[in-house]
Order: sequence, then C-alpha cells, then structure tokens
Amino acid sequence: MKTDLKPQLAGYLLAMADDEIILAHRNSEWTGHAPILEEDIAFTNLAVDEMGHAGLWYRLHAELVDEDPETYPDRLVFFREAPFFRNVQMVELPRGDWAFSMLRQYLFDVAESVWLPGLADSSYQPLAEAASKIAREEMYHLRHTQAWIRRLGRGTPESHRRLSQALDEIWPYALQLFVTQPTDKDLAAEGLVPLRSAGREAWLAKVEADFKASDLALPEGGEPPTTDRRAHSEHLVGLLTEMQSVARAYPGVSW
Amino acid sequence: MVGKQGDQDKLAAFEDRIARGEKIEPGDWMPEAYRKQLVRMISQHAHSEVVGMLPEGGWITRAPNLRRKLVLLAKVQDEAGHGQYLYHAAETLGVDRQELLEALLTEQAKYSNIFNYPTLSWADIGIIGYFVDGAAILNQTMLARCSFGPYSRANIRICAEESFHMKQGKEMVIRMARGTPEQKQMVQDAINRWWWPTLMMFGPHDSNSPNSPQLIRWGIKTRTNDELRQTFIDNLIPELHALGLTVPDPDLSFDEGAGHWTIGEIDWDEFYRVIHGDGPCNKERLDARRQAHEDGRWVREALAAYAERVETAEAS
Amino acid sequence: MTDTQWPRFYVFKQDTADSPYLNCGSVHASDGEMALLNARDVFVRRPDCVSLWVAPASHVTEVTVDGLEALESPGTSGQEQDYEVFTKSASKGQHARVGQVVASSPADALRKASEAFNGDSWVWMVVPTSTIVASPEDEGPAWFEAARDKPFRHQSFYRTERLIREIKAGQHDPPGDE
Repeated sequence: MKTDLKPQLAGYLLAMADDEIILAHRNSEWTGHAPILEEDIAFTNLAVDEMGHAGLWYRLHAELVDEDPETYPDRLVFFREAPFFRNVQMVELPRGDWAFSMLRQYLFDVAESVWLPGLADSSYQPLAEAASKIAREEMYHLRHTQAWIRRLGRGTPESHRRLSQALDEIWPYALQLFVTQPTDKDLAAEGLVPLRSAGREAWLAKVEADFKASDLALPEGGEPPTTDRRAHSEHLVGLLTEMQSVARAYPGVSW
Repeated sequence: MVGKQGDQDKLAAFEDRIARGEKIEPGDWMPEAYRKQLVRMISQHAHSEVVGMLPEGGWITRAPNLRRKLVLLAKVQDEAGHGQYLYHAAETLGVDRQELLEALLTEQAKYSNIFNYPTLSWADIGIIGYFVDGAAILNQTMLARCSFGPYSRANIRICAEESFHMKQGKEMVIRMARGTPEQKQMVQDAINRWWWPTLMMFGPHDSNSPNSPQLIRWGIKTRTNDELRQTFIDNLIPELHALGLTVPDPDLSFDEGAGHWTIGEIDWDEFYRVIHGDGPCNKERLDARRQAHEDGRWVREALAAYAERVETAEAS
Repeated sequence: MTDTQWPRFYVFKQDTADSPYLNCGSVHASDGEMALLNARDVFVRRPDCVSLWVAPASHVTEVTVDGLEALESPGTSGQEQDYEVFTKSASKGQHARVGQVVASSPADALRKASEAFNGDSWVWMVVPTSTIVASPEDEGPAWFEAARDKPFRHQSFYRTERLIREIKAGQHDPPGDE
C-alpha cells in the first residue's frame, strides 16, 4: 500500500469501527428489556457480534497508525470526545421503540451486506480477512432482522404504524451511510475499499423488496442531515458520557 | 381403598426409583406434592435468572473497556438463556410460561432475594460474578443431580456456562484488589455490601428449613443449606485474604479443629424483610420487568397476528 | 387479542455430522422460521453445532415406557407419514434421535418405534418429519461458525485459578507494594 494512503485507510477503518461500537451500545440497552425472553438473547447476540466487529476494525486501525492494537482501541472508545467520533448519526440516535431499533439494525445490516463483498476483496490482506469473517456473521444478522421487518410490517395495524413512523424518522439518517468521504476515492482507486456511494443502488433494491413484503413504501428522495462524519447530534454526548464514565473516573488503571 | 393402596404403592415405587438414582421424566407418575414443589422451585429459579439480568445489565453501558463490555454483555445474555432453559423445565410439568410471568409480575411468585440489592459501583459487577455466581454454582451443581430429568438437564447446561460467569467476576476482583488504592477501596466496599446478602442466598439455617428432609428424600436437594453455605465460605475466605480483602464480620474466625471458617450471626430479619418486598430494589426490579412486559405487548401481538395470517393463507 | 408468550417449539441440535440430533429444550416463537432463528441464539452461542431442527410442541408426542403400554390402539386413522424417533436410553442424558418410522398416527409411531429400536429405553418421543423446520444446510458457517469466535464465553479464557494459586503461594508481590 502507498504510504500516504495508510492514514486514509486508518480513517476509513475508524469510521467503520465507530459505527459498530455505537450501534452495539444502543442495542445493548435492550438487554433485560426486550419484548420476550428469546429476544433478550437474540438481539443481544447482534450486539455481541457488532462489538466484536468494532474490536476487529479498531485493531486494524491501530496497526495502521503504529499504535498497540491491545490498548489503543480502549483509548479510542473510552477517552475520545464526541467531535472526534466518526460514526454516522443514525447509530447514535436513542433506541426508541422496538420497531425503531429493529429497523435501524435492518438498514445497517443491508448496508453491510452490500459493502462486505468489496471489503473482502480488499488489496489489504488483513482487511480482507476481517471482512470475510464478519460477512459470515452478517448473513445471519440480515436473516434475523429481515424476518422481523416483515412481521412487524404485516403484523397488526399498530406494528405497521410504528414501523412506518420509525421509517419516516430514520430514513434521512440512513442515507448518510452512502456518503463517500473525500478520502475514500483514493482508497477505492487502489482497490483497498469499495466506495460507499457505490453500494447505494444495491441497498435500495434490497430494501425495496423487503419493504414490499412488509407493506411499506420506499420513501422518495430525502437528504441526510449531514454528509460529514465529524458532525454529531447531542445524543452522542449523552451516550459517551455514560459509556465513558467509569473509564474516565479512573484513567490508566487495569480492569 | 384400592385407589389409596394404589397410590401408596406408586409412591413407594417412585421413591425407590429416586433412591436408585433414576430420573423422573414428564409423563412419569409423581406425587402431586413433588410436582408442585418442582413447579415452585423451578419457576422461582427461572424468575431469579431473568430479574438477575437487571442489576448487572444496567452497567453494560458503563463498562470501562471493550473486553469488560463484551464479557458483561455475554454474561447477562447467558442469564436470559438460563431463565429460558428453566422456564422450559417448568413447562414440561404442564404450566404455561405466560402464567408463570403473570405470577412474577403480580408478586405472587418469588425470586432470589440477592437481586433486590442495588449495584452502586463498577466493583459490584466483579463481586456479583465472584460471589453470587460462585454461590449459584454450588447450588446448581447440586441441582444438576436432581431427580427430575428436565430440571437436572437444565442445570447441567447452566453449570457449564456458569463457571465463566464466576471467573470473569473473579478476574475483575483480582485486578482491582491488586490495582490502585481507589480500586481496592471500591472492591472492598462492594464486598462489605454484598457479603451478608450472598450468604443468605443459601437459605435459612437447616434448623429453620422444614422442607429440606422431604426435598432430600425426593432427590431435589442433596445437600443442606448450611452445608452449601459452609463450603462457599471455606472456599472464598482464604482467597479474599490472599488478595488483601476482608469480609465485614468481626466474629469471623478459623476453627482449627473442624477445619472450617465460622461466621457471626446472619441477620435473618433483613432476609425476611427483603423477601417480603421491603428490600432496597424490589420495586425497581419488578417495575422494570412490568415495563418491559407492557412495552413488549404490541410486539408479541404483532408476530402472533402475522403467524395467524400466514396460517390462514396457507390453509386456503 | 390475548397476550401470549407464543407457542413452544421443541429444539433438536446436532453437534457434529456423526452425532445424533439431541433434544436440548424448547423456544417460544410465533412461527417456525422465528423458532429456528431463536433456537440458534438460545442454544448455539458456544460450539459445536452443525444442524438445528425445531418442531411445534403440539406435534411432538412423548411417552414413558409405562405410558407406552397404556397407549390407545391406533386404529386405522390418518395417512401414513414419516416420523422422527427420539429416545432416552439411559436414565441421564438427553433424548437422542435413533431413526425414522412410517406410521399413521403418533400412537402408531410410538408403537412402531419401540419395536423397531429396541434396547432399554426410558422415554420415547416422535415428531412428524413434515413438521420439522431445519437450519439451511448450505448456510452452516453463517449460523454456527460464529460460536467459535467467542472464546470469552468459555471459562478457560480466564486464568483466575492459576493466578489465585500463585498469589497464595506468594509468587506475586503482595498487593499495595506496587
């Protein structure tokens, strides 16, 4: 890899890792409060997997910036302020109701399903390996969330209304997933990563098909609230305040 | 008269089977008292696992590093799984899970007292794993030998997973005890609050446990409350002392002759107060479960409606 | 509409290609597909597993050896179909799949099973093959390999016992001296 691309690839990996950890954190808020015991277990499994994915991306990022992959991820997650996170705003939104959280997870899972094949083909071997591993788990995630979206869409009038409402709220945020950052083009040109924007059509097609089976209409148009992964809502501040509270109270200790 | 003799014969045969170490399976003849005891015990055990997700679950969002976060998430997930296995065992005796949940939410059914205590610091999470899961392991190892097949099998599965629960807590405690003075103080404070409630987990003294002899004869219990409690104390005290930690018991002493640690008096008033609803978190725990149940109603109804729709469509 | 915990589905798990399906418990789910997904999350967080079956509890018929004798005569009801047969052949342990029979009713299946698969069995369980929902054969890795990547779920991941032994033996500096 060209040396000048290392920091750019590191940035791309950081963004993926931040997406995963924030989403996992939001999903973990359901543990102990899910609609039924089986989902306390199943939805938590999604969070466990996402957290694992975050760890993989953070370690790869650490290697690229010459930091210790064993300790740097914790520094990134527990000692960075909100403006320095690189996740999309969609994942930092509060968990809302079950329809909202499930829809958010579903839209994210479909996005991963369109990008992971390209990532698994990366000319950067460690990234390709991590992506193949993750792709296996993601296939299962999508089965799970797809099954839920269908059932909520065609369940009762109430479940449909809630899913519809969730869709109205989340749609513009979901579009931010496909915004290509300025540095991504060079990375894509070198075969290191797929262009995020290139996945948008495939994502829309999959989502449209599943929405049809859920009696949902694909929203038309819409603009993401931001195209800059450095821009966050205040929700992230609340989230990080809680997430980092114990770590920051005792910096530098071993847990 | 024939009926009564028949029942007595059946009871004798049943007790013989148990004495021979055979498992009783759903569908086998069993005394009504055996069935009732098991439904009560198993469902209480299941409720404990589910409510038990709450004191630690609340700290997942504050775990101080990625490893701890992931491990705690997996542990709490396992508790849900354990609840699931146990409700299944109860259901094999003919009760509906909906009924069992209603009994819990309307306070007709009990769950383990220990979960009515608050988790006030991150160190509590380590202590819960080390102490509470440690105590549970002793109990569940015994229950894995229980005469009722489904309950025995559920406990076998639980035991296989519970070791990890205890060890992840122990690992935390070891690190904190040997860490900074603030960490050590945090973990010592957690011990001071959790020690006595943990000892109460083993139940009243044998002299105050009228059910025990029958439970032992029916292979539901194989060790008494005091025996299990003593094993727990004997295992734990030397480890805590090696870590430079103490327990809040001025009467703690080692009986050289017996080879056991003796403790002071347990405050049974507190035990009964908490069991009867007057503990620090009883209300919060049940409120949380009721909220989750209520919030989940539309979800359960939606999937039931979808299934019905599909069935109707397939049938036509 | 009455609120329910959804129907029960019995879960059967095959650990390796050479081992029989074992009944590991049940899950509550609204339909077969959800039951299969839930079963994977409830029962396969740790290795090993290569295949999973779920069947609605309403289609599972179980009988103890004593109950077998009391079974009503099956008569000439029902169309013949395949039944999967499970049995517990030791006092301890789970119900394991021993094979299939063709029968015209659950009672008929139970009788045929006890004849076909002799041995000292304690309990018999039969399920019509058509009611079983199975995990997709070609998706094994996505469903079951993930369980291998979670070593933190296993107690051997934590070196606590060795550490405590060493601390007790004074092989580490006493706490507070650091």
